[in-house]
Amino acid sequence: MKKKILIGILVAIIAGAIGVWYFVFYKPTHFRRSVESEAALTISAKDIVKEFQTNEDSAYAKYNNKAIEVSGIVQQATTDSTGTTILLLSDDPMSNVSCRLKTVENNIQSGANITVKGLFTGFIGDVQLNEAIITKK
Amino acid sequence: MKKWILTLISIVSIAAAVQAQKIYSTKTAIVSFFSHTPTEDIEAFNNQTISKLTDKGLVSFSLLIKGFRFENELMQEHFNGKDYMESDKFPKAEFKGNVTNIATVRFDKNGNFPVVVEGNLTIKGITKKVSAKGTISVNNGKVLAKSVFNIKIKEFGLTGKDIGSIIANDMKITVTSKYD
Repeated sequence: MKKKILIGILVAIIAGAIGVWYFVFYKPTHFRRSVESEAALTISAKDIVKEFQTNEDSAYAKYNNKAIEVSGIVQQATTDSTGTTILLLSDDPMSNVSCRLKTVENNIQSGANITVKGLFTGFIGDVQLNEAIITKK
Repeated sequence: MKKWILTLISIVSIAAAVQAQKIYSTKTAIVSFFSHTPTEDIEAFNNQTISKLTDKGLVSFSLLIKGFRFENELMQEHFNGKDYMESDKFPKAEFKGNVTNIATVRFDKNGNFPVVVEGNLTIKGITKKVSAKGTISVNNGKVLAKSVFNIKIKEFGLTGKDIGSIIANDMKITVTSKYD
């Protein structure tokens, strides 16, 4: 009987240790919120910019922390060592949708029609998306 | 009437002066921060920083807090949470300032020019004066600005209990801005 209790405690300790290791050390570095599997709000680049310019607060309430799928015309694509940032045109030349892709994408032409899915990070003159992927090109 | 004309002249001349500034801008400047303690190194990058620099020495940076990406998603959650950046309440950070020795920078000539930048840094709604050394590099008309400086994060209202133990008091900020 005593032996059984001891084994029980031992199993609980090991399970606990594995749990702590998994949730504190393994999971945060190996699993990220990934936009691929999330349902996204679909909108055009010019409409989302217009929404923020009309009423920033209500647009924030609608999009904050959500996945968004935005389509528009590429103004510019800039690549650095960790990824590519695509600027999509709106009707206002001063205000874009800035999409930071997870990966380096070298063959994105200015003027091309493109759809990008990413996580909304905020509005700062431009609407910004992060952790994004290209869904249609 | 005379006053009117004078006002008009001054408006026109101010407009001309503003016009005369050449503005370099980018929407893909990189801002990163780094904290080192014996327990943990913490690093995150924001590759969507908006920056402007004029040849008269005005310089600005603005970014979204949620645009910082960490390798460790749990760190990213804590960073955005209420003990640290509270990014739902304070979504932006901003710097506006001047290159104090802009006269030594030749935008029409290739070279690396050491600069000193002074201005106001706003994080979590708190504005502090900061001063930083950096370089402006000019290569065939393309302008690249770089700077590394430290800030004391507690001065900007960050209260997390890990500051001073797991997280360093001094955060090293690196700015790399390649203008279009």
